[in-house]
Amino acid sequence: MYAAPFSYHRAASLQEAVKLLQELGEEARVIAGGQSLIPLMKMRMARPAALIDINFISGLSDIQTSKGELRIGATVRHADLENSSAGTTIPIVHDCAAGIADVQVRNQGTIGGSLAEADPSGDWGTALLALESSVICAGPDGQRTVPLEDFIKDAYTTVLAHNEVVTAIQVKIPPKHSGGAHLAFKRSAPVYPTASASVQLTMEDHHMCKDARIVLGCVGLTAIRAKEAEKALQGKALEEKNVRAAADAARAAAEPQSDMRGSADYKRLLVGTLVKRAIGIAARRARGESVPAGHEYAGR
Amino acid sequence: MAGKVVAMSKKKASRGGSQRFSGNGAAAATTKWVGQPIRRKEENRLVSGKGIFVDDEKMPGMLHIRFVRSSYAHAKITRIDVSKAEKFPGVVCTLTGAEIKRQVQPFIEIGPGGAQKIADYPLAADKVVFQGEPVAAVVAETRLAAEDAAELVEVDYRPLPPVVTAEDALKDESILHPAMGTNQKTFKQAAHVVRIGRLHFHRFSSTPLECNVILATWDPRSGDIEYHCNNTFPSFASQFLAPALGVRIDQIHMKSFDIGGGFGIKITSYPYMAVCALASRKAGGRAVKWVETRIEHMQASAHGNERTFLDTRVALDKTGVILAIDSKHVDDCGAFPRYEPLGCVIWAQVLPATYRVKNVRIDMHQVVTNKCPVGPNRGYSRMQHLWFMERVIDICGQALGIPADEMRRRNYIRKNEMPYKTPNGCVYDSGDYASMLAMAKKLVGWDEWKKKQAAARKEGRWIGLGIGSTLDSGTNNFGQARIINPDAPFSGQSKVGIVKLDIYGEVVVSMGSVPQGQGHETTAAQVVADALNITPALVNVRPGFDTAHNAYTGHTGTYASQFAVTGLTAIHGAAMKLRKELSRLAAWKLQAKEQDLEFGVGGQGPEVRVKGRQKAINYWALANLVNVNNAGMPESLWDITLNCRHVFHANFQIPDVKRKYGNLTLTYAAQVHAAVVEVDRETFQPKILTYACVDDCGKAVNPLIVEGQVHGAAAHGIGAALLEDCAYDADGNLLTATFSDYTPITAMNIPDLMYGHMESPSPFTLNGAKGMGEGGAAPVHTICAALQDALYPSGVIIDDSHNTGDSLFRAVQKAESGGYAGMVRVEHRRASR
Ligand SMILES: Cc1cc2nc3c(=O)[nH]c(=O)nc-3n(C[C@H](O)[C@H](O)[C@H](O)COP(=O)(O)OP(=O)(O)OC[C@H]3O[C@@H](n4cnc5c(N)ncnc54)[C@H](O)[C@@H]3O)c2cc1C
Repeated sequence: MYAAPFSYHRAASLQEAVKLLQELGEEARVIAGGQSLIPLMKMRMARPAALIDINFISGLSDIQTSKGELRIGATVRHADLENSSAGTTIPIVHDCAAGIADVQVRNQGTIGGSLAEADPSGDWGTALLALESSVICAGPDGQRTVPLEDFIKDAYTTVLAHNEVVTAIQVKIPPKHSGGAHLAFKRSAPVYPTASASVQLTMEDHHMCKDARIVLGCVGLTAIRAKEAEKALQGKALEEKNVRAAADAARAAAEPQSDMRGSADYKRLLVGTLVKRAIGIAARRARGESVPAGHEYAGR
Repeated sequence: MAGKVVAMSKKKASRGGSQRFSGNGAAAATTKWVGQPIRRKEENRLVSGKGIFVDDEKMPGMLHIRFVRSSYAHAKITRIDVSKAEKFPGVVCTLTGAEIKRQVQPFIEIGPGGAQKIADYPLAADKVVFQGEPVAAVVAETRLAAEDAAELVEVDYRPLPPVVTAEDALKDESILHPAMGTNQKTFKQAAHVVRIGRLHFHRFSSTPLECNVILATWDPRSGDIEYHCNNTFPSFASQFLAPALGVRIDQIHMKSFDIGGGFGIKITSYPYMAVCALASRKAGGRAVKWVETRIEHMQASAHGNERTFLDTRVALDKTGVILAIDSKHVDDCGAFPRYEPLGCVIWAQVLPATYRVKNVRIDMHQVVTNKCPVGPNRGYSRMQHLWFMERVIDICGQALGIPADEMRRRNYIRKNEMPYKTPNGCVYDSGDYASMLAMAKKLVGWDEWKKKQAAARKEGRWIGLGIGSTLDSGTNNFGQARIINPDAPFSGQSKVGIVKLDIYGEVVVSMGSVPQGQGHETTAAQVVADALNITPALVNVRPGFDTAHNAYTGHTGTYASQFAVTGLTAIHGAAMKLRKELSRLAAWKLQAKEQDLEFGVGGQGPEVRVKGRQKAINYWALANLVNVNNAGMPESLWDITLNCRHVFHANFQIPDVKRKYGNLTLTYAAQVHAAVVEVDRETFQPKILTYACVDDCGKAVNPLIVEGQVHGAAAHGIGAALLEDCAYDADGNLLTATFSDYTPITAMNIPDLMYGHMESPSPFTLNGAKGMGEGGAAPVHTICAALQDALYPSGVIIDDSHNTGDSLFRAVQKAESGGYAGMVRVEHRRASR
């Protein structure tokens, strides 16, 4: 399995990457971790004429916290986040990073590439939507900051112009008494989940939910904010009835399709259950408990 | 993977049988090494990157081949144009099906009658019959050029209607193999008759890390073909290739070194081997290499057999003992039968499974469909049948209210009935299934789980306990092919081993086997070390297979769970011959009587010495005497070569073809697994809560290797039960051509496995060992049993061997809407028994 011929360019700076994109035209593509692009290229389902490697640009793989914001460089690897303190501060980040594919993919794949790829089953697109996140893009006219909900437009489609590069992701650190969880069910390690759910809850007190964000993954062309499900919890007590209502609303919001990962009906069922369980874990975490969670695998 | 280990030794396995182990030399002088859990000799080489795989081999002027494959499951080829590809820079030549059809004979067909008329050519010429079938090939200087040029081959197809299910295929009738006897009377006597509707064993495969790889050179000077490849049954491949390619069999030289897994699936790579040789010839004798990609492997190497079980009737007495089984089985072998007609009878090695049932009538059919041809796959052909029998046991047990463990206990063949003759004339050598079950139950804590299950059910949880009893029959009698085709010119079983002293006295072993991770180098060294009373480290075992070693017969390969019996007995026989020669030489040189000599390791290495005296001669000196220093040797010793070859023969007869009766295999290793599985009420995901494997393969030559094989087979089986499925759509497109879709099992899916070990030595083999490693797909049986137990109260019948959260979700829905009504029907009679 060999890719169709292409030329390779290593960008030393962001400016150079943008310039190369402009010069090499529509057939040129950025390569980050290569974990989405290379499999497509070797099967010849993608045939870029040129690859612009952004892995050697300094400063693009930093994780920084300042002024209540977490800033994750575009080429930060999933494994970096799995092992960083950001994952302790924001558990949802750890849940997500630790369950993506297998060790090899996590060591190589990047958060920027994941968002730019906009795979409907991608974990980051779901998890980060439960937080307040935005994507920083650099182009010939400088930088712009795009809220994540506006960044991914459709399956495999973002607002990125051809000559733009994702440089970082900004995530607002949730307030005190807020907790979240990203749960995903997957058949085996090196595959995308069948369904996933991210929930971030901010609590008023032990029982009352002040604010909720509920996001569904793998059950639509993009990650879906289940706003009706959120409403079922906002300003309400976290009791079984309300949680069940949220799960039902989540099921109603899902738009799954049948494929080898599961039938549409099954994915709808599953995503509601994941929402329900994620609410439970998010609430416990919001109350200060440390609860392990993340991806679940068939059989175990 | 932590796990509890229990060991229990059964010293005397069985009372004497009619067929005892029949001589290949006396047993070894000592058994110091055989039976020891020594670390594998090959490990260091393999984990330090020193393994030699075919793709590591490079030859001067080597070319690369790329296949052009059909995207259709069934279509007529209306045009094929290679001209653009041939003009592509770096391309040396192309091959098309039409072109090679003129150069080769179609492959031999094993099946009878109409099946003999199937024309199986290495490339499709007029018509394609499965997705991924090769239609042309491009040969180029680089792999990249071959891939680029292959895209330029233009093929036009006219699609034909595909047949993708066995039931559809059956409509126009295919190979038929009715088994034995009539059961009418027994059914009349039954207290209960249970009728079971359609059951289905799904198609899955093995996913060896290394796909098929072939390096072929057809030398224009000698006319010889040299293969470096990872085919695991080279003798079989040669017998198919020589007539197809029109060469003498001695002109085919085959070599393999290390192989990255096989599990049977690589046996059927010979069509690709034929194309590679033809490509080399067309390219003027330059070497041609093919490295199969994963997608090619998934689409067009081989899958395991899919089987459908119809119209099953089971007669039982009032205690739940099965009196008779009557059923119709349809095996789907994909587009070409190839090795498959054998699969049509190999299941009959385990006709009654682990049970005493005396009357079994299976109406066996095999059909071709527009899917990838099937091939031997770990547990080959027996596992489908064993799964069926386990389903019968569990369904009958549920229907009659008899617990799964009790149902088995009542029906198991007893230890004191061994060796046990099955209704179709097979002889189970030894085994104690009831004790294995007791051990498995103890490991998982069966009785406590029963209580927990009852409590959990009250809370609405779905917890199930399951048992899978299975057999790994090994050392097959090729005579079973005659049951399919009375004219098939093969029978019996044999293997070769060669043990020699090289010129400087090194002990060198050539094996007639094709190891793919089974540790043959280690166990061979253990056997030779015992025969000569030296250490395994002093035994140099040549890795891999090489026709030049001359250690083969027509049966040579690694398949059918047998090396511990056939391969090691051959090597043992050769080592004992060498021992005899060394003894004769030493007696002459040391002027002693042979009976006063002993073997061992002295200050100057391995030696033969006179007991109780200071007189000894080491192997260097003995080899020296024969090879380079032989003046003055008495003529009576001139027959000594120190290069000893031994052929193992299994004591088989040709089966009675008319009655389909006879001994089809030599040994029966057994596995009893037990598991507790919970089906999540909200996600329907099955979760294994606890899992135990109990294995009995007779005398374990190396317990460490045995345990490793058990773990591997268990993982493979759990993957098959819960994840892996070669799924096709109605148009014959394979939906699982990548690992992302096929989802082979990963470490994340495997529960901690508990392991228990028992030894019921085989009375029919040299040191009581039995072949093992296939594992009989025990987890498929076990997990289905546990799921059945969990969901029976909800009205679900587990009718498929592959179960996922999704399928269980649909099964429960089906049960709720009464969809399983009539699937199991019980008729209670006033019985005479
Ligand atoms: C076997 C396997 C299993 C997987 N399982 C999962 C899973 O369970 N969950 C999951 O979320 N993901 C999974 N992935 C995908 C993985 O997370 C990838 O890392 C991710 O999709 C892409 O990141 P990358 O850095 O590898 O991007 P690349 O493959 O390098 O690029 C992907 C696309 O994004 C573009 N791109 C990359 N970086 C930038 C940038 N900074 N600016 C603009 N465009 C850019 C590229 O041009 C390309 O079009 C899996 C991948 C594999 C191979």
